[in-house]
Amino acid sequence: MDDRMVRVIGILIDSFIPLLKAGVMFTVPLTIISFILGLIVAFTVAIIRVTNFKPLNGIVKFYVWIVRGTPLLVQLFIIFYGLPSIGIILSALVSAIIGFTLSVGAYGSEIIRAAILSVPKGQWEAAHALGLSKSQTLLYIILPQAIKVAIPPIANSFISLVKDTSLAAAVTFSDLFQVAQQITARTYEPLWLYMEAAFIYLIFCSVLTMIQSKLEVRFMKSGYSHD
Amino acid sequence: MIRLENVYKSFGSLEVLKNINLTIEKGEVVCIIGPSGSGKSTLLRSLNHLERITSGKLYIDNELVDERANDRDIHKFSPKRVSEICSELGMVFQRFNLFPHMTVLENVMLAPRKVRNLTKKEAEEAALELVAKVGLTDKKDEYPSRLSGGQQQRVAIARALAMEPKIMLFDEPTSALDPELVIEVLDVMKALASEGMTMLVVTHEMGFAREVADRVVFMDKGEIVEIDSPENIFNNPSQNRTREFLSRIL
Ligand SMILES: Nc1ncnc2c1ncn2[C@@H]1O[C@H](COP(=O)(O)OP(=O)(O)OP(=O)(O)O)[C@@H](O)[C@H]1O
Ligand SMILES: [Mg+2]
Repeated sequence: MDDRMVRVIGILIDSFIPLLKAGVMFTVPLTIISFILGLIVAFTVAIIRVTNFKPLNGIVKFYVWIVRGTPLLVQLFIIFYGLPSIGIILSALVSAIIGFTLSVGAYGSEIIRAAILSVPKGQWEAAHALGLSKSQTLLYIILPQAIKVAIPPIANSFISLVKDTSLAAAVTFSDLFQVAQQITARTYEPLWLYMEAAFIYLIFCSVLTMIQSKLEVRFMKSGYSHD
Repeated sequence: MIRLENVYKSFGSLEVLKNINLTIEKGEVVCIIGPSGSGKSTLLRSLNHLERITSGKLYIDNELVDERANDRDIHKFSPKRVSEICSELGMVFQRFNLFPHMTVLENVMLAPRKVRNLTKKEAEEAALELVAKVGLTDKKDEYPSRLSGGQQQRVAIARALAMEPKIMLFDEPTSALDPELVIEVLDVMKALASEGMTMLVVTHEMGFAREVADRVVFMDKGEIVEIDSPENIFNNPSQNRTREFLSRIL
C-alpha cells in the first residue's frame, strides 16, 4: 500500500464518526422535524383543497404553485440570505426547517389530495344517504381509505427528504454534508470524503426503506384489502 | 308518504325530469321501470339531496324536504335538516357502496352511532339483529371484499335499515349481481315489503315488479308515461310507449 492510500484510509476512518455524528445530530432531526411539520401543513392544505374551503383555497393553491414551481435551493437562499434584507433574520436551522416544511407541505398535499380523490364517489354518496355530515364522512369514511393510498408515496417523500436536507449545507447548516465539506477543505480528498458522505446517506436511506417495507407489509396485512 | 310536485331537473341543457308528479302512500311498494337514461336514478337521488332538483317541491310524510325554482332554493335546508331528511330515507345503490375498511357489523353500526347517537352497545344489538335478518350472522366480522355481491347488497340493505328509515329507496339493487345471486337480494326485499315497509324501487326485474309492486311507474325521457297496477302495466298498458318498452325487454 502506498502512502497516499494509507493517508486516505486514515482520513476516512477519522472522519467517519464526525460525519455519522453530524448525520445523527443534525440531518436526522432536521428531517424528522421538517417532515412532521410538513405533513401537518400537507394535510391541512389537502383538506382545504378537497372541501374547496373559501377563501383559503385560493391561497393554498398559490402556495403549492410557488413551492412546486421553484427550486428548493433557491427557496432556502431566499429564506436565509434574502429575508434578512427586510429585517427577518433566521438561523440556519430555522431557515432549513421552514424551507423543508414548506416543501413537504406542498408536495405532500398533492399526494394526500390525490389519495382523497381516489376514494370512489359512491362512498361519499352512501355516507350522505345515511345522514353523515361532510366532516364525519371525511373522518370516518374517506380519510381511513385515503391514508392507505397515501402512505407509500408519503414514505417515499420522507426518504427523498433525508437526501434533500443536504441542501441545508448551502445555507451554512452544519449537517452531515457540510461536515464533509469542511473535512474536504482541510484534507483535499473530495472524492473519498464525498463518497463516504454518500455512503452514510445510503445507510440512512436503506434503513428507512427497510422500515418502510416492514411497515407496509404490516399495514397491508391488517384489516381489509381493496377489491 | 312521498310526494313530488311539478318536479323538473336539468343537467345543463339536458332535461332529465320533466314535470314529475307522484304520490306514494305509506306501506306502498312502487317500482319504477323504464329505459336507460329516462331519469329513474335522478328521481330517487333528488329525494335525499344527492341531486338537487331544478324546480318543484318534494314532500316526505307531508313535510317539505325540498323546494326549488330555477335551480335556486326557495327554502333553505341546513346541513342538519338534510341529515334528518336522509335519516328518514334508506338508500340502496346498484354498486353497494359498502365501506371497505369496516367489517359488516361496523358498516351497519356506523350511522346509528354517529347520526342517531346510539351507544356502542345499543348500536351493536340493533346491528346484530339486522345482520341476522339479512341472513349474514356468520359473516358479521368479515370485510366486504370477502363477501359475494349478493351478500354485500344484503349488508347494504341492513346498513340502510339501521337508521330506521320510513322509506326505502332501491336503485337497481340487483343489476350488478350475477344472476344466481339476484334471488337472495330480492327475497330480502320481499320480506321487507311484506312487513309493510314503504318502498320505491328502480328495477329491471319485471318478475319482482309484477309480484311485489302495488303500483308500477313507467318512465321514459324524463316523463312519467304511465302509473298503474302491475297487472295493467304488464298485461294491458294504456300507452304505446309502455307497450313498446315492454315488448323490447320481455
Ligand atoms: N351528474 C350528471 N351530470 C350530467 N348528466 C347526468 C348526471 N347524472 C345523470 N345524468 C344524465 O341524466 C340522464 C338520466 O340519468 P339517470 O341516471 O337518472 O337515468 P336512469 O333512468 O337511472 O338510467 P339507467 O337505467 O341507465 O340507470 C342521463 O342521460 C344521464 O346521462
Ligand atoms: Mg339509474
